[in-house]
Amino acid sequence: MRPYFQNMAPIGKPLTEKQKEANKENARQIKEVEKEIEAAIEEVKNAGLPLEVLKKRGQMSVWERIDYLVDPGTWCPLHTLYNPRSNEEGTTGVVDGLAKINGKWAVVIGFDNKVLAGAWIAGQAENQLRVTDIAKRLRVPLVWLVNCSGVKLTEQQEVYPDRRGNGTTFFRHAELEKLGIPILAGIYGTNPAGGGYQAISPTLLIAHKDANMAVGGGGIVSGMSPKGSFDEEGAEQIIEATRHFKQVPPGSVPIHYNETGFFKEVYETETGVLDALKKYMDMMPAYDPAFFRVDEPKEPKYPGEDLNYIVAFNQKRSYNFDEVLARIFDNSEHMEFRPGYGPEVYTGLAKIDGFLLGFIGNRQGFLGKDYPEYAPYPGIGGKLYRQGLIKMNEFVTLCGRDRVPIVWFQDTTGIDVGDLAEKAELLGLGQSLIYSIEQTDVPMMCVVLRKGTAAAHYIMGGPTANNHNAFTLGTPTTEIYVMHGETAAVATFARRLVKEKEAGRPLQPIIDKMNKLAQEYYEKSRPLYCARRGFVDEIVSFPNLRKYIAAFAGCVYQNPKSICPHNHMMIPRIIKG
Amino acid sequence: MAVGEVTAPMGGKVIDIKVKPGDTVNEGDEVVIIEAMKMELPIVANESGTVKEVKCNVGDAVEADAVLLVLE
Repeated sequence: MRPYFQNMAPIGKPLTEKQKEANKENARQIKEVEKEIEAAIEEVKNAGLPLEVLKKRGQMSVWERIDYLVDPGTWCPLHTLYNPRSNEEGTTGVVDGLAKINGKWAVVIGFDNKVLAGAWIAGQAENQLRVTDIAKRLRVPLVWLVNCSGVKLTEQQEVYPDRRGNGTTFFRHAELEKLGIPILAGIYGTNPAGGGYQAISPTLLIAHKDANMAVGGGGIVSGMSPKGSFDEEGAEQIIEATRHFKQVPPGSVPIHYNETGFFKEVYETETGVLDALKKYMDMMPAYDPAFFRVDEPKEPKYPGEDLNYIVAFNQKRSYNFDEVLARIFDNSEHMEFRPGYGPEVYTGLAKIDGFLLGFIGNRQGFLGKDYPEYAPYPGIGGKLYRQGLIKMNEFVTLCGRDRVPIVWFQDTTGIDVGDLAEKAELLGLGQSLIYSIEQTDVPMMCVVLRKGTAAAHYIMGGPTANNHNAFTLGTPTTEIYVMHGETAAVATFARRLVKEKEAGRPLQPIIDKMNKLAQEYYEKSRPLYCARRGFVDEIVSFPNLRKYIAAFAGCVYQNPKSICPHNHMMIPRIIKG
Repeated sequence: MAVGEVTAPMGGKVIDIKVKPGDTVNEGDEVVIIEAMKMELPIVANESGTVKEVKCNVGDAVEADAVLLVLE
């Protein structure tokens, strides 16, 4: 199949200085958003104790542990700003991402030991479940840096119970193990109760000399108050008992290395634990990348920095999506699937780091005369019409057949509406695409390049495709909402305006409400909000997008659960005709 | 479309004209912005040349195929 995959058709053109000059303000606006994101990330990194306190205790921070563990330049952080319950810590208390360890991809997650000694805090369970889901979808090892003090007792109701509470992670670990996906854990510090299960549920434990893990902590020096409440006398008894409490925390190295053997290895130094994890990563199942590559890896012909001048910050402004792809694909080359059909959608094959991936995305701008073919009005990119929906269904289904992982790019205002659109079966074709995705069973990732709107955000491989979407990235231009705020304000208040008008009452109070709603839509769809709420798994700068897509490609081809031989693939032949 | 003419691909409202007579443009340069279907569509020169005449004004409602400017 070499003739198909090497020397594909070129895509894109270099940006001229004039074009860059004309879009200088665009690039500046994008950089402004990046600064806002960077400031928020800095706050997360500074959450909890100052780093100097850990240093005095002789501990490394979770960031330092990860930095030591992963191969330089491979760290792709995820969920950095995620804080779905807006907790007071300003973080979920775990740090995670994709990275290579000794040349092999893994999902890495560690407790932030600066934040309440790695306690379970509100929103953390959701973060952990996203991470186990990513390991499951990408079929790469999950590497834990456990340092967990257990439940934040003053907020136990936020973390301990519930269907998707912190305990759910232990079942997810068991599920990964059932699927043959190993979980390696290095453990540090005191890990009682929930922390104990965080430590024991992985496949293999490597301990630091001072680590311990236990069913319950040693800090419970008294039980419930016999009086049913606390008073001064009770408080004095607690003080006395606490002063005399010198017990070593249960489950330390003498127990779990010498007696139970749960700790497979114990190391004197923190870095010793990390070196051991690297050693065990060498034993993890992984194909040599050359086995699946269809060509030598090549950088795109045009710089990723150009994307800041190409993707329009003004959400109403169209741009050339093919020029975006030209700055993502290896050597800026591709094979487009059905280029003349459904012009609002790009579908095609391209290489990332030498691996073959399927790409689907919204083209922008005017779509040509007589399109959509079922309506007298002109079609405009970002909307989805009949042909585009049929084409995506075909391409997704064929990617399933050829076992080609898919990358979705969303910049969509939704599916065409109205009776003509209904007659053209768009409602059914949208759900058909969901069906096609669910039946296809290949790993997918999504980039919300700009707008993720209405049902199109669901059907185009968005985060709601739980079983297939490994993760979703946002960008500095991302906006996610059911509809534009102004549209929502009209939909909500139009009849009320008529009523007030007919009653002869002033319209200003309703107009104020409309403006307030539109503003709320804007504020709650911005990149920072999307990242904090988890609408996306990370906000990534445009030049960094290719790095994340390359990480996705490396992960999915590391140990795939099923394979289509290159010489049995149909998409390249269908494209060639 | 005659040689040298830049036309509107669809009906809409002219919201920005980025060139004036005498300006040099290259193929692919944005010359006019039209608003249609709630979107702003950049109209680009499909060849290089000098702007001979601008045949629209900001605020004009133009039909599909209307000549927006002429290049020479």
